[in-house]
Amino acid sequence: MVNLTELENDALVEIFNIGVGHAAAAMSEIVNEEVVMSVPSITFLNRTDAAELLGSKKDGERICGVSQHYSGAFATEAILMFPEDKSLEIVRLMVGDSMPLQELTEMEQEAMSEIGNIILNACVGTLANLFGSELHGSLPVYHVGTSTEILSVFGEQGDDVVLMLHIDFVLARHQIHGYVAFVLDLSALHDLKEQVDRYLARVLGQA
Amino acid sequence: MPEVLHRLSLLESIVGAINLGAIVLDENRSIVLWNGWMARHSDWPAATVLGRDFFEVFPDLQHKRIESAITQALRDNFQSLLSQTLHKSPFPLYAPGASEGQERMQQAVAVTPINLPGVPRHCLIQINDVTIAVGREKLLREQTLVLRSQTFSDGLTGVANRRQFDVTLEREMRRAIRTGNPLSLLMIDIDHFKDYNDYYGHQQGDGCLIQVAAELAAMLKRPTDLLARYGGEEFAAILPDTNAQQALQMAEAIRLRTAGLRIPHEKTGDQLRHITVSIGAATKHPDQPLEIAALIGAADRALYLSKRSGRNRVTAQPA
Repeated sequence: MVNLTELENDALVEIFNIGVGHAAAAMSEIVNEEVVMSVPSITFLNRTDAAELLGSKKDGERICGVSQHYSGAFATEAILMFPEDKSLEIVRLMVGDSMPLQELTEMEQEAMSEIGNIILNACVGTLANLFGSELHGSLPVYHVGTSTEILSVFGEQGDDVVLMLHIDFVLARHQIHGYVAFVLDLSALHDLKEQVDRYLARVLGQA
Repeated sequence: MPEVLHRLSLLESIVGAINLGAIVLDENRSIVLWNGWMARHSDWPAATVLGRDFFEVFPDLQHKRIESAITQALRDNFQSLLSQTLHKSPFPLYAPGASEGQERMQQAVAVTPINLPGVPRHCLIQINDVTIAVGREKLLREQTLVLRSQTFSDGLTGVANRRQFDVTLEREMRRAIRTGNPLSLLMIDIDHFKDYNDYYGHQQGDGCLIQVAAELAAMLKRPTDLLARYGGEEFAAILPDTNAQQALQMAEAIRLRTAGLRIPHEKTGDQLRHITVSIGAATKHPDQPLEIAALIGAADRALYLSKRSGRNRVTAQPA
């Protein structure tokens, strides 16, 4: 479906690691505690496979998602996703609350939206910076539902590609795995690949 | 042209009237708009802040998340959200007419780039008062805490807590009066537990309580029997349909089982170097019009006698 060379793949992983590094620093500043984030790998999937990957552990497992729309050099819907119990864990680790309730309260959902806002802006910001182009970002929107439900919020086009980032998040000795999905249509995917090549040409001195 | 002017004054009135704080910064982070809501809640009229650097007006906010949010809006064209949960009250804003020393309003903040034709990008900072929502969630948490404290099990040992003990004893008492069956109560206290805690530390003390509680609970096999943590190192067993003789047998079995755990205790002050219990037993006979307080009192006195006569023993209520 998508043929990224090993070099292109590595470049994207590196770019996203720089991005989540900025996000981790911003989050450390908020909680006054070390937050470590990394992106060990990325995968390109179609929408159905992406939903399956997210929901593979338990059927119908609820997922919390925070999405933002970006447009400009390329257009994408970016979604940070964690299993619902993990998002409860993250917010409560960040807030340090001693009285957990069953679900994220309204205020906690807003905190989760902010966490998504920080991570997504950092990832996309690094991309835009390195590409030397600009993207316009929306405010975050909070979603909860199955992975299929969340991914289907962003249109039904069958030929969409999902660029999936695996994210490791470490806070207060807790390690939490999550995902960032970029839903791209084929032209956006093409633009992204072109930008990566241009970036590579620049850093490898072939420009 | 008059129509344009009309629209402009309409927009200005609206910005002044909206129930939301609005600050606009230019590309140099100077304040170019400060709406009426901001003036009312900060006590700074627009004239005192317009044209000034945002971080000169709010020096405390430098190097905080809002600074990177402003940078991201002006430089990257990104929007940011600052939640109340993670930032509480970043701006010194108060309810109108607030007295000296009153707490700041709880705030949710959004930072949005504003792209205008022909001029560098500006950014809009919107501030929402979420004090009421924060209060509502605080209430929700407090009530959850109350509900949880009303549950029936002891948080440490998992056996019934004092509350369940009270409810169960009252129920069994009424049942005993109605059926005419005897009802027995054992008060069980771990010997030299304070010394154990002092010597081994509270964590190991907790471990000892858990182990003893689990052993005792396993011995009470009938569904109507109840083992509860009565307080500190004191447990109580409610034994319905159990006469004085049977209660003493059960108490003796409990004493032996506990000693049989061989939990080391260096500071017993006697030859036994392990954890033991003292027990007091009391029974409500069918023909006695006994009250709950009297039954507990009788078991307590019997326990006291066990303690005074050397511990690690069982005493029945004085006749």
